[in-house]
Amino acid sequence: MRADLLRGHLDGLLLAVLGDAPGHGYELSQRLTERSGGALGAPEGSLYPALHRLERAGLVESSWSRAEGRRRRVYRLTPAGRRAAEGSRREWRAFSAAVERVLA
Amino acid sequence: MSASPIDECLADLAAALHVRGAARRRLLRECRDHLADAAEARGGAAAVRAFGPPAEIAAAFDAEVAARRGVRSTFLTAAAVAATGGSTLALIHGAAANAAGRAGWAIAFFVAAQLAGVSAGLAAVQALAGRRASMGPAAVALLARRNSCALVAAGAAMFCAGAALPGRGSAGLLLAGPALAGVALVAVLRARSLARRLDGGRTWAVRPPLDDLARLLRLPFRSLAPQGVLVATAAFAAAAAFVWDRGEHAAVAGALGAAGIEALAVVGCFLGLGPALGLWRPSRDPRPRR
Repeated sequence: MRADLLRGHLDGLLLAVLGDAPGHGYELSQRLTERSGGALGAPEGSLYPALHRLERAGLVESSWSRAEGRRRRVYRLTPAGRRAAEGSRREWRAFSAAVERVLA
Repeated sequence: MSASPIDECLADLAAALHVRGAARRRLLRECRDHLADAAEARGGAAAVRAFGPPAEIAAAFDAEVAARRGVRSTFLTAAAVAATGGSTLALIHGAAANAAGRAGWAIAFFVAAQLAGVSAGLAAVQALAGRRASMGPAAVALLARRNSCALVAAGAAMFCAGAALPGRGSAGLLLAGPALAGVALVAVLRARSLARRLDGGRTWAVRPPLDDLARLLRLPFRSLAPQGVLVATAAFAAAAAFVWDRGEHAAVAGALGAAGIEALAVVGCFLGLGPALGLWRPSRDPRPRR
């Protein structure tokens, strides 16, 4: 899928995969790949600026934690992030239904 | 011995990043961890391919850090303008009971105080409207100009108040505002300096305040052309000055004079500072861009 198609939706997608459970950047990229069947194909490095933006907006929070002998920055949704994830899901459904009606 | 693809990717990322300090160290650390995990699963070369172009990631991250600094410095500026206002009130309160300010200083005080409030308000609305979205370097540079204008004007208002009504006051109260303004100015200049080093950071941005207000309040405000904003603001300010003066028992002629001065000050500030504050764009860019 073209990267520019994905760009406007990356924040919503990250909030959605963080809704499953907290995770570090690599884990989140794996969840995106698995849940999309590999169709989204966003450059994995682009997740980090997006995660920092979501943190600035107060939608996610993060802290260093140690797992398997390695320190990792783990991200989790805040209550505002949960509400934003739900809002983003509703917006996307309304948008995709409208586009579907036009294209059908 | 040649460097691994991961080391090369991280070196390219580090070279492309403009941001320094803790944010840079954190990003590089997170990216190193990510690439190490990915390389364990699918090999170094594939991990680097999936990671994406370091220059693009660095540009997006630099823009994000600039936006974060811009928003933080805006809240600091709002606090500093309020504190400088408090220090100015303490200065006025400490003036000799029989002191009478010269009209020139008094007019300069009112103009500077209103300019500080309006600039800080413009910056705060822009920062709040953009706090959950990406903000480009040009918007961050505009935010920094609005904040700088607010801080300088707040300082000028305090200076004019002191010149108009000399007196004594508690050093702590008088210095609290300017000290916080100094801290805020450093934060603003830091955000500006980073934004101006990024692609697009030297572009002269225009950002109608009603559009930001509509985005912030999720209300369908109708966007006004710059001329409309000027007429509405000048009329509102003149009416407010007239009502205020009449409330202070001024004669109608005196209140009309104050309203006229207020309207002239609004027009002068709009024409002189409008491009810097992102309210309108001159037909030619005011500064040559390098």
